Amino acid sequence: MPPNPVIETLRQRINCLEEVQRRFSRTVSVSNEIDRWLPYGGLPTGSIHEVKDASLASAIAFSAILSARIAGDEGNILYIAPDRSHYPLGLLPYGINLDRVVYVFAKRPRSLVETVLEALRCPQVSSVLALVDHLDLTGSRKLQLAAEASGTTGFLLGNAKDTFIAAPITRWKISAARGRAGQSLAQPVWALDLLYSRSGRPGRWTVEWSGKELYTVLMRPAQQSQQAEREALAG
Amino acid sequence: MARCFLSLFCPSVASEHLTRLVEWCDRYSPLVSQDGCDGIVLDITGCAHLFGGEGDLLLDIRRRLHRMNIEAHAAIADTWGAAWALARYGNKFIVHGENTVAALDPLPVEALRLPSEIVLELRRLGLLHVAAVRKIPRSSLTARFGSTLVWRLDQAFHKAEDPLTPWRPPAAYRASRILAEAISTTGSVEYVLRNLLQEVCVKLEKDHLGSRRMDLACYRVDGTVDRCEIRTSKPNRTISHLQRLFSSRLEKLWAAFGFETFTLSVLNSEALNAEQLSLIETNPVRDEESFDALIDRLGMKLGFQEVNRVRICESLLPEYSVEFRPASEPIAAGAKWPDYRIRPIRLIDPPMRIEVSILIPGGSPVQFFVGRRQHRIVRSEGPERLSPEWWWRDNKSRWGVRDYYRIEDEQGLRFWIFHHAGQWFLHGHLP
Repeated sequence: MPPNPVIETLRQRINCLEEVQRRFSRTVSVSNEIDRWLPYGGLPTGSIHEVKDASLASAIAFSAILSARIAGDEGNILYIAPDRSHYPLGLLPYGINLDRVVYVFAKRPRSLVETVLEALRCPQVSSVLALVDHLDLTGSRKLQLAAEASGTTGFLLGNAKDTFIAAPITRWKISAARGRAGQSLAQPVWALDLLYSRSGRPGRWTVEWSGKELYTVLMRPAQQSQQAEREALAG
Repeated sequence: MARCFLSLFCPSVASEHLTRLVEWCDRYSPLVSQDGCDGIVLDITGCAHLFGGEGDLLLDIRRRLHRMNIEAHAAIADTWGAAWALARYGNKFIVHGENTVAALDPLPVEALRLPSEIVLELRRLGLLHVAAVRKIPRSSLTARFGSTLVWRLDQAFHKAEDPLTPWRPPAAYRASRILAEAISTTGSVEYVLRNLLQEVCVKLEKDHLGSRRMDLACYRVDGTVDRCEIRTSKPNRTISHLQRLFSSRLEKLWAAFGFETFTLSVLNSEALNAEQLSLIETNPVRDEESFDALIDRLGMKLGFQEVNRVRICESLLPEYSVEFRPASEPIAAGAKWPDYRIRPIRLIDPPMRIEVSILIPGGSPVQFFVGRRQHRIVRSEGPERLSPEWWWRDNKSRWGVRDYYRIEDEQGLRFWIFHHAGQWFLHGHLP
């Protein structure tokens, strides 16, 4: 069926009214399928995203892949955490230039959040990876505004099962997925759950990291993940 | 330029208070040192005119100490030794040049800063005054009393070196403001600080230097001193940035009855060349928005040991192969990151002991327990053998040879485990 011109003009007018086009014009690519699914045409930079993972290792790796794409070779990346359990060499296969990463350790939750805010305000920081337990709505709004003003992208990482960290633009949950037989363990396989995206739909994919690209192996019906989010919210 | 020393003799001050008094004296001169257990010495060469001359300086120091109820005797002379003698035994307080000999002559021999056994010996010989000792030939003095006596004589009369070790190294760049009236609000302190920063930064710029460490001493009316120190990760002389670093410290400053004097000193400085401003720069970054400024602010807030970059170390063992170093330290050029190696993202330190079941002896494990939780191993890769370098062989704290396996359990969780001396350990989480 050819597209109806009336519907198309209407759609364009609605798009102009919506905040999506205005606020999230600059994006970074996740993978082809996911970019198409997201209403912004990619993951918006200059905003905060939440990534949850039980062991945190996959969450750090996933945000590192995206951070490396945002930062390129010259951009500065800040890793902010309460402890030193992170092992930097583990990030090398994900395209990150470790020379440009600064590790900040803040034990007290309050100073950690202040540090994240301070980092997000700096326009010379490309991306911030922060291990944050929980933030109230005011706190996460502050972070979002700081990120929008400076163009810095923030990834808030957490391992809490049921609770949400903040009120981000997109919220992801990463769980481990079984790899294929004969596949190298050097290639991570993840079940990516897009639990929430502002003005968008939730989605669910299984992705593989090849060393350069994220390949979508399997795309699952969105109903399932809506169900998952409902459960998560109820729980 | 003739040197000029001020010696303070405060017999009634306890030694722990004396160190505070030394700090307080910092307002008169950058070269201050504690002198024995009952005195202080200040090198006031070129400082006196700031207080209206030597007489006024002496009056000022006496008046302030008197207000603090401290009994003190002060004297100014060309040498430390002479000032010391006059403060303790003299009746003149400012002595210079040829007058030194005349002023010291009638003083008792104790005034020469001598050990008590030499003083006793001199008294036994009937040499009671400095004049008497001075008239004896030097060779006989040395023969009888050793070199100490002659050396002390020479020091008092400006014939031998008498080095002073200041309680803190003198700052090359220093600015100070003595206020007519005490101030106590943060706003006014910030105003004074801005003034001082301008003065110091102009000097730094002239010498192509930037400050790494600065210190603001705030002298209260009641004689106590508060210090705020800031550090920067790179040499810097941007006033707004330095002021911002100070501001978090100034908030914590407690004024009490107010501050009357401020001294800003640059403790460390490094070369910083002027930068050419580009006319066609489209998007100039303001100094306080730059990445280095962010590192400075975080370092001031959390401590510079918490703001790190990672450095590679020459070791195969994962826990020794990287090191966090403060971002304020210069980065060693030419460090190469190792080639593509699969390493965990999170390391468990120390490695966690786990129980493992193995089907074939010497084969790879089929299941393991973390606590009570069972993980059935579906796939595994390995072993990757890592051993400590041969020069660590004797070191018990480093383990021996380890065989590492990458494993995946039935849920797809990936782990990094190793086998060492018949035991299995979990060492990290792979993504």
